[in-house]
Amino acid sequence: MATGTHTGRSRFTLIFLLLTSATLITLDARDFEPLQRTEETLSDLISPLRSGADRVFEPVGDAWAGVTGYDELESENEALRQELQKLEGQQILDSDAAIRLESLLDVLGLPYVQDIPNVVGEVVTANVGNFDRYSVQINRGAEDGIRNGMPVVTRGGLIGRIDGDPGRGHSRVTLLTDPSFEVGVLVVGTEDVALASGGGHGEPLMVTKGLEIDTEVDIGDEVVTSGVDRSRYPPGIPIGTVTDIDFDEARLLQLLTVAPSANTDSLSFVTVLLYDPLEDG
Amino acid sequence: MTMAGAYVRSGLFLLSALVLHLALFSDLRVLGVAPEVPLALAVTAGLVGGPERGAIAGFAIGLGIDLYLPTLFGLSALIYTVWGYAVGLLEERIFRSAWWINVLVTAAATAGGLLVYAVLGELLGEVNLYTDRLYTVMGVAAAYNLVLSLPLLGLWHWSWPRLLGEER
Repeated sequence: MATGTHTGRSRFTLIFLLLTSATLITLDARDFEPLQRTEETLSDLISPLRSGADRVFEPVGDAWAGVTGYDELESENEALRQELQKLEGQQILDSDAAIRLESLLDVLGLPYVQDIPNVVGEVVTANVGNFDRYSVQINRGAEDGIRNGMPVVTRGGLIGRIDGDPGRGHSRVTLLTDPSFEVGVLVVGTEDVALASGGGHGEPLMVTKGLEIDTEVDIGDEVVTSGVDRSRYPPGIPIGTVTDIDFDEARLLQLLTVAPSANTDSLSFVTVLLYDPLEDG
Repeated sequence: MTMAGAYVRSGLFLLSALVLHLALFSDLRVLGVAPEVPLALAVTAGLVGGPERGAIAGFAIGLGIDLYLPTLFGLSALIYTVWGYAVGLLEERIFRSAWWINVLVTAAATAGGLLVYAVLGELLGEVNLYTDRLYTVMGVAAAYNLVLSLPLLGLWHWSWPRLLGEER
């Protein structure tokens, strides 16, 4: 094991590396473009190695997830069974909600999400570290027309947005469960535009701003993106369902708890809407 | 082996470890926590190679993993550099260690490194780092790295075989 003496050279090396790291942090915090391009280039260089290793080790990861997530899968199955029963029982209500949403969109003259050009991407890495539970990386990037801030959806609804300038063939998606994630929303059947924010991993979204206390909202109401002027999200993308309503008497606002309609766990494929509010809005 | 040869070998080892971490280890989660292979690499490099090599290896693997993290580019490099150096220095001056001490040091340094990462990250404006979950992450990642430390220590000895004999 190590027995050498601590030399002036090693102290110099340490100081040099620390200064380099601090410089990189400062440049990155200031969105220094050449540094971002270098990051993308390095990431693209490693990408083929990583893709190959992903293919080789995917069965191992799947097997591990099967073993360690067995209890979770059981409870998820049970929850899905209950959800199915609930959905069967509320089919009529659901169709009513869909009609209400459609009519609202008609009234407001809002475009359907399906009309917006989009790109389907595969999730290549969920989170590589232990602190990035609110982001995933996909295998589509700038060369596919993806830009910073574009909305990302699945069949269930909004799951997040593109975070930062994408690389040539990859980009990062910030999930809507991120507590710093905010999106303008509309409760279907009302006209108040409110602000919803992520509640953390496995937690519902919270609507804490913008919904007047006298606005009529019920448990089970659908919540969609508002798409107000220059919003980064087009209108009408499903966000979730109201599961709880509280009141802030001091601010005269309603506080909603919203269960996300799209599952952000175990994502495989996602759709990036190539939506630019300045061009499309 | 020449100095250049040893550094090429170490570089290839670090690159392979980074790719393995991205493709395999980051999926092997217990309680939602993955092993902190890059941090374990920095710490074990310090234990085997001393402060200077610990700092260099920490910086290199830190930059590599920073490419894939949403936090500021350079943050992991900064912390892993300090950790590789500090552990190397402690090893030289205090531990002069038996293998089992090195294993325990790797686990303790992993927990400490994650705490420093979270605190420094929050101070630099990052969010969601210092949360209630941090202590779970520290505990599970430390246990994971305790297990990984033995093969990593062996691999570092393989990377720097003759240099260690010549320079120490």
